[in-house]
Amino acid sequence: MKHSSQTKIILFLCNWGAHAAYQTLQDELRAIPDQVHMIRIPCTGRIDRALLLKAFAMGADGVALVGCDPGTCRYGAGTTAAQRNTTDTGKILELLGLGKERVRFATVLPEESEQLLAFLHSFLDDLVRLGPSTIQQQPAVAELELAVDSDQRLQQIIAAHDIHACQDCGKCSSACPLALIGKPFSARGIATAVINGELHQESVRENVWSCLTCGLCYERCPSAVNFPAFIQELRHLYRQKQSQGDESHGGFLHSLMRSMASAELKPKRWQNLPEKLRIDQESTTLFYGGCAPYYDIFFGKHLDVQTEKILFDAIGLLNFFDVFPRLLDDERCCGHDLLCAGDKDHFQKIAALNGERLNNLGITTMITSCPECYQTFKSTYPAQGIELNFEVVHLYDFLEQEIDRSAVRFTPLDRRLTFQDSCRLARLENRAELPRQLLNRLQPASYEEMQDSGRAAICCGNSGWIGCDTYSKAMQVKRLEQVRATKADLLITACPKCQIHLKCAMEDPFRLDTPSVEMLDLTSVIAQTISWK
Amino acid sequence: MPTLENDHPTQTEIIVTGFGGQGIILAGKILGMSASLGDHKESTLVQAYGPESRGGACNAQVIIADRPIHYPYVQTPIILIAMSQAGYDKFSGQVRKDGTLLIDQDLVPISEAPCPFYGIPATRMAEKLGNKMMANIIMLGFTTAITQVVSIPAAKKTISQSVPKGTEERNIQAFSKGYDYGLSTLKGQERRAAGQPGAIAQ
Repeated sequence: MKHSSQTKIILFLCNWGAHAAYQTLQDELRAIPDQVHMIRIPCTGRIDRALLLKAFAMGADGVALVGCDPGTCRYGAGTTAAQRNTTDTGKILELLGLGKERVRFATVLPEESEQLLAFLHSFLDDLVRLGPSTIQQQPAVAELELAVDSDQRLQQIIAAHDIHACQDCGKCSSACPLALIGKPFSARGIATAVINGELHQESVRENVWSCLTCGLCYERCPSAVNFPAFIQELRHLYRQKQSQGDESHGGFLHSLMRSMASAELKPKRWQNLPEKLRIDQESTTLFYGGCAPYYDIFFGKHLDVQTEKILFDAIGLLNFFDVFPRLLDDERCCGHDLLCAGDKDHFQKIAALNGERLNNLGITTMITSCPECYQTFKSTYPAQGIELNFEVVHLYDFLEQEIDRSAVRFTPLDRRLTFQDSCRLARLENRAELPRQLLNRLQPASYEEMQDSGRAAICCGNSGWIGCDTYSKAMQVKRLEQVRATKADLLITACPKCQIHLKCAMEDPFRLDTPSVEMLDLTSVIAQTISWK
Repeated sequence: MPTLENDHPTQTEIIVTGFGGQGIILAGKILGMSASLGDHKESTLVQAYGPESRGGACNAQVIIADRPIHYPYVQTPIILIAMSQAGYDKFSGQVRKDGTLLIDQDLVPISEAPCPFYGIPATRMAEKLGNKMMANIIMLGFTTAITQVVSIPAAKKTISQSVPKGTEERNIQAFSKGYDYGLSTLKGQERRAAGQPGAIAQ
């Protein structure tokens, strides 16, 4: 248990009004609590949600943003932005089980030093009462493994993934969506460079961090070099050398996931669950939701995405077939994106915590509607040495089996459909046929595949929340052009990230001519149209 | 043993009808044998011989009773199993108003009938199982679930003894498929009656 003197408050203080009040306190030698670590900043509006969360991920117990009254902001919109960021971060902290009270926004005028002091004391009192944050400080890199000779490790990786089998034939480049969109990127180029000891050249490093790990090159490689797995290993190697990739969204999502590697963290994950859905905490079938509610809070700032609704539709479908699943209120992230980003250390911590928690539940089946959770629990955990004592089932498998033996029908849907494959499900888990079995049961006005579909489908533009750039956006636009070519008016998706990424391209204010199309997850479409005969 | 003093109507009259070659007669035979050999009741079977057994509408008339059956022909069936439109057209006028009509919904596409009716895509399901000759067995499973006219163990045992050697397991699988679909149909009806036909709560 931390003593109150160990409580850490990060205070972001606006340079203009609030800092003057703080200086007055310093000049008058007033008793500013020692626990307050002040950071002077130009404007509270510039402390985005990624920075707020990062403070918690690095061990803060509370974060305060103190700035100017609305209307007195020197830059106009700073106060509004800071308030929004504080509210959003508070919501995330609520879901993480930390409580929204730990992040606060306040405004003070230069002469209101007493108010500032009172605010800091009351914040400290509240934090002492709440107790320490359950997030353990996460070191950026695990120091232990640094001792291992990275050259030796590199040779092991090359041998383990049989990189010498690369024939330099170029099949990978002819399929790679990044190369096709015009990015100077080459999978075989990385392979050759790594063999030649050029791992740390800037161009190689950039390429390794940009790879989508979508698996198309692995699909085409005549020597079956598992490129996505190889890339993950190289990224891990980079991270050990303190060289980090370009984490998108300010690293917000990675901070979030790293926070979940703390053993004491007890998220409160299912706060928005609609009452009409029936769950049974004694059930031997667990429904695993994934990160959707966090996404909705974070991306809701710019995009109208409601990915959590997919989970509710999934539970609605389970209920439809008389399955009343158990839910884990303290459900953590599966760790997929951390591993993808080369952060093996935090992945292994999360995987160990998940493995222990899930294996002790006494469940026989885990059902998930997220393709990444599915891949991670079904294939990645066992491959990383974490055995699970229950079966991992994709919701689509469950639905296909139930629909096949039940007297159900689908109400006609007067829409023209096409389908965006999830790279994890279609290629890496080799289940491209699975969503199509369900799609074939629907009664749409028409259904047409895109030019690249199934195992050949191209990615939504990004995976693992790293290295998003203009080429990612160009890929998304290309994909949306393919949607337009099918004349579809409803794009069916199978992964919440596809929705987020394609929506981002559609709503890009700099690309107003980007084709726009309504999107719905396959789970939601089935939930809306299925009925008993 | 039921006695003659028992004056409750315990006689179940069934007509199975369809094309020749669908296994209509076999289905009737399995129903009757399950009832007599498995469930220890009385049963009779009248087969429609003649040109209809080479295609067109054929039928099997089955009676299952708790006491001896004096007359084996069926005039007003309480269960009609129709696997062809021609068969349905021929017999639907005879079925009792309080009876049960069971159809292959793809072959008999009707939207209303003289009595409560239940549909199953039996032939399509049989094709998916790998042999459309098993549609009759699927239909039997469906009938067993909806009407409980014979017991499951009796039906399964008779099926194993009646189908060609080597196909027993697949036919039992077909029976279960039809049976599950029947249970699911009944469940669906309950849900509809309760105003919950879909996955999204109304």
